Amino acid sequence: MTDITHHDTHDSHGAGHGHGEGAPQTVWHHAWTRPGWWRVLWTTPLFFGIGCGLVTLIRWAAHWDPIWKGQPITTVALVTVPVGFLVGLGGFDFWTHYAGGLPTQAEDHDSHGAKTWKDYFRINTDHKVIGVQYVVTTIIFFLIGGFFAMLFRAELAKPGDQYFNPQTFNVLVTNHAALMIFLFIIPAFAGLGNFVIPLMIGAADMAFPKLNALSYWLLPIAGVMLIVGMCTPGGGPSAGWTCYAPLCSHQPMGQIFFNMAVQWAGASSIMTALNFLVTIITMRAPGMTFWRMPLLVWANFTTSMLVVLATPFIAGSQFFVLFDRVMHTNYFESSGGGYVIGYQHIFWFYSHPAVYIMLLPGFGIISEVVSVMSRKPIFGYRLMALSLLAILVLGFSVWAHHMFVAGMAGWLRVPIMVTTLLIAVPTGIKIFSWLATLWDGKIHMNTPMLWALGFIAMFVIGGLSGIYLGSVPIDIQANQTYYIVAHIHYVLFGGSVFTIFCGIYYWFPKMTGRMYNERLGQLHFWLTFIGFNLTFFPMHYLGLRGMPRRVADYVPQFAGMNEFISIASFGLGASTLVFLYNMIWSWARGPAAGDNPWRSMTLEWQVSSPPPIFNFDEVPQVVGGPYEYGVPGARHAIFGTETPAPVLAE
Amino acid sequence: MSAVAHEHHGPPPIHYSSRIPPPLVGIFLFIGSEIMLFGSFFTVYFFDRVVNNPGTWPPLNPATGVQFERPWFVALVNTLILVTSSFTMHWASTSLKKGNRAGLCAGMVLTLLLGLTFLLTQVIEYHRIGFNTGDTAFAATFFGLTGLHGCHVFIGLLILLAMTIRSFKGHFTPEHHHGLEVGGIYWHFVDVMWIVVYVTVYIL
Amino acid sequence: MRRGAILQLVLLALIAAAITTAVAVVIPWMPEQASKEAQRINFTFWFMTIIAIFVFSIVAAVLVYVVLHFRVKPGDLSDGPPIHGHTGLEIAWTIVPFVLVTAVAVVSAVVLSKNSNAGPNPVKITVIGQQFAWTFKYPNGQTYPILRMPEGEKVQLKIESLDVLHSFWVPQMMQKQDAVPGLPTELTITPTKLGTFPVICVELCGLGHSTMRSEAVVMSATDYNSWLQAKPAAAAGGGSGLAVFKANGCAACHTLTAAKATGTVGPDLDKLSADAAKAGQPLNDFIKTSIIDPEAYIAPGYQGGIMPATFKSSITGPALDQLVQYLASSTK
Repeated sequence: MTDITHHDTHDSHGAGHGHGEGAPQTVWHHAWTRPGWWRVLWTTPLFFGIGCGLVTLIRWAAHWDPIWKGQPITTVALVTVPVGFLVGLGGFDFWTHYAGGLPTQAEDHDSHGAKTWKDYFRINTDHKVIGVQYVVTTIIFFLIGGFFAMLFRAELAKPGDQYFNPQTFNVLVTNHAALMIFLFIIPAFAGLGNFVIPLMIGAADMAFPKLNALSYWLLPIAGVMLIVGMCTPGGGPSAGWTCYAPLCSHQPMGQIFFNMAVQWAGASSIMTALNFLVTIITMRAPGMTFWRMPLLVWANFTTSMLVVLATPFIAGSQFFVLFDRVMHTNYFESSGGGYVIGYQHIFWFYSHPAVYIMLLPGFGIISEVVSVMSRKPIFGYRLMALSLLAILVLGFSVWAHHMFVAGMAGWLRVPIMVTTLLIAVPTGIKIFSWLATLWDGKIHMNTPMLWALGFIAMFVIGGLSGIYLGSVPIDIQANQTYYIVAHIHYVLFGGSVFTIFCGIYYWFPKMTGRMYNERLGQLHFWLTFIGFNLTFFPMHYLGLRGMPRRVADYVPQFAGMNEFISIASFGLGASTLVFLYNMIWSWARGPAAGDNPWRSMTLEWQVSSPPPIFNFDEVPQVVGGPYEYGVPGARHAIFGTETPAPVLAE
Repeated sequence: MSAVAHEHHGPPPIHYSSRIPPPLVGIFLFIGSEIMLFGSFFTVYFFDRVVNNPGTWPPLNPATGVQFERPWFVALVNTLILVTSSFTMHWASTSLKKGNRAGLCAGMVLTLLLGLTFLLTQVIEYHRIGFNTGDTAFAATFFGLTGLHGCHVFIGLLILLAMTIRSFKGHFTPEHHHGLEVGGIYWHFVDVMWIVVYVTVYIL
Repeated sequence: MRRGAILQLVLLALIAAAITTAVAVVIPWMPEQASKEAQRINFTFWFMTIIAIFVFSIVAAVLVYVVLHFRVKPGDLSDGPPIHGHTGLEIAWTIVPFVLVTAVAVVSAVVLSKNSNAGPNPVKITVIGQQFAWTFKYPNGQTYPILRMPEGEKVQLKIESLDVLHSFWVPQMMQKQDAVPGLPTELTITPTKLGTFPVICVELCGLGHSTMRSEAVVMSATDYNSWLQAKPAAAAGGGSGLAVFKANGCAACHTLTAAKATGTVGPDLDKLSADAAKAGQPLNDFIKTSIIDPEAYIAPGYQGGIMPATFKSSITGPALDQLVQYLASSTK
């Protein structure tokens, strides 16, 4: 374990191994003081009380009337209640001990690894357990978000009001997007990265395992907050996931839950990204130079840079609209001297890089799978890594292409258009390099490869429709319409979600030690692929012809097409059931997968499935590139006393 | 390569691929993230003041018709207090590295007290300032930037408190000082950020 | 690469191009172009589409070829040739996309600058968005709920918002611009076709967003001018209560049979008497208060904070009295 405190707490190491020795907990009240769910039961209400008390005390001291007021209390409680939950669960135990100057528990690794299913429901510092926690949690939110989509597609099957009033419709649309973006795509990649990155670089764990555990547990908090926000008095958040001011400062109570949930999800994502960066910088195995890292590690490295630098901006934007609402500030209220469009600049300064946060890890996954499944080295490895960095840099200069019709300064349009179009170049490099990797390969058409090929095809369509949008004149016609809905789903579903499925199928054997059902996997792919295209391709047409997005009702002219889309979307939704069945059944009953079913060279496949508790018995020695397929005698890494074979190709 | 871990069988010895220890890499990256958070608050300030161009700054208070007044002098004194605390922090950490434990403890206590003074002055300033968060975008940016910084001072003080307790208990040694160093770097960041906030909010 | 492979690739690319071209041409992707700006945007769209077909065909051809030719049987455990890269190819697929996007950028920039140019002497109309209706203010100082524009002349729209963000869009004119509170924006349209086109709000603006629609009527220049001079009476400042009702967009949210209004966001105005009784106020007072101070009484089943508070200043004097009279007499 590489926690910082070990340097400082040598004096306390003798304090002993008392904690995790399995000392029998016979005294009943110990359950209430030990970290765990029993303690959560009382710390959560306690911190709710602290939040209420704090607000009331400040209002009393400042002579504000009334002393007891709903909105500030809700806001503060949405900070303190999650803290209370984490305190109960034991997320802060180590640090409070440390801060109090108490002898810290010696690291006996009892919070590490999972022996029973119960170990997945507590603070666990093992990156492999956290990775599984992440992936499973995010899939649950994916199902909920998808269910919302089914609900509003049912509403949209016919013009006019069917099942939901406009308020409910807007809430469903808002939370569909928020769940999918903040609680599925971004953290699903964090989950896969969590499981794979330390293994890939030959480390025993992440650099800060306790922080890692904490950043996972912020996620269910954010998700539950979003969903609870839908049921608050007055109605849920209904200003869209973009939450544009000033509309969202005048929304029902649920909006506060939305703003705060985004903060928690954002904090989780920053903490994970910091952890990834420090791990990749400081914990690589000997010989693992930057130019020998697998592209997935490169991808997560650049993604984490984006997260660390951009995510504070969405935190800021959500703070401002929250303050505008709760503290009556005038950041974006034009009547008080605020600048309305400022919100959009700040929001998109995060949310455009967020698109790459949701894509780059997927690029990494595709690079792994394409190379392994076509048994060839990745084509143009260095250019692949450099194009990631190019996207990272350019990604910060294109935010305002979401605002071509927003009324921003006119002179900004053309420069932003140019940078936006330029991003097509590094993205194109990646697409063509994957195609060149496939060329002349020995292609194994199994489920991960199907998803990878499906991704390349869909992402080309999404990328091209993105170039249409990059061109300002076309964007003026297409902005805010169903064309945008089609485009983002080609990029985020055909792009990100396909890569997530690709990654889940690819690493399923490593995570569970069992093999998924290949037939069901392929069936899942084809159902999703067809359902996806039938659902989203017609939306391009709807948008250009005049159907705005986020409308509960539309003109009868578009009725036929919408009915078709709704039916197709139900098919797309149903395809997920195949995935669920396959995953659950295979996890419980699937055949043993073996250590390296794909015959991959990267380090995570050189250990057992699932990997041993500390990943490696001895630190591996990296001696070559990660994709040397077909190179005679090439090795990526050697273990133990083996003598390094001569490296023929790098 | 399968391995059955024995009970309490630890991980293999860690191989570090960077000369800077992980906690320091971590705190520098975290400060990068923090700078961006402040950046978003400066951005909204820029929009409300420069892009929106209200003419005079601070603008007129719509309630009274006169310009908002910023207590720049009190804040200047407060700035000096905070800057001094950076020096005492530095003193504490150099004392630690030289093995001077009394210097370490004294430095930490002084830093803590100076920081606390700064925060209390800030609270009193809010109380007497004569306008509230809702009075135009000027007030929003004023309370936003100083409040965000105040939160950082508060968190910084909690970290300093922990460091002070551990200093008195003798948990830091000239060889093991990363904990103190990380806390110190954070505190220096809070100080430097205040100078930027002060110049922007009170002077410009 | 063998010559047969190249031939097959080209063939596959041609097939893919043929299919995508058919999809592009047969389906009417763009609405009819009813303005000069729309014609230019349509040109940009097709310019871009040719590039898209080119790129997509190449990718599709390679993907299909790869799947057809390089697939191995399940037992084949051999590796592919260890090709690590090819500098020439890598330079090519950096340069070619760069050239293509530069072309797109140049065309787009030219079109944009032409489309934004309002010329020396445009017809000026102010577009006002508020929850959930559009109103249009003409050079003669009158306000109407319908946008009328003269054919063949440059029209400069000044777009304002009274509450939250809205976005003005006429799909057939292909011009769109957000309405931002406190920050008027501009848009240029040169109508080229007579007829009636929808005006749509495309920025989520609250509960009634999907009902925030109006019409853009393009008239011949002479008709437009005579209309502008002939009908000053039917505006918000005077005329019948029905005109006031329509000019302020009440129909977007309220049902009123007499005005053929069917909105469902706000309370049904056919039932005003019943609501007045519930609120315990005389009918006329109740109507007047509800217009100028909507939060004073919230009908059961509805939320506060939805109806704009702006009517207090925009409907005043005789117009207000007329509207109140009209509503009182029209309700059932």
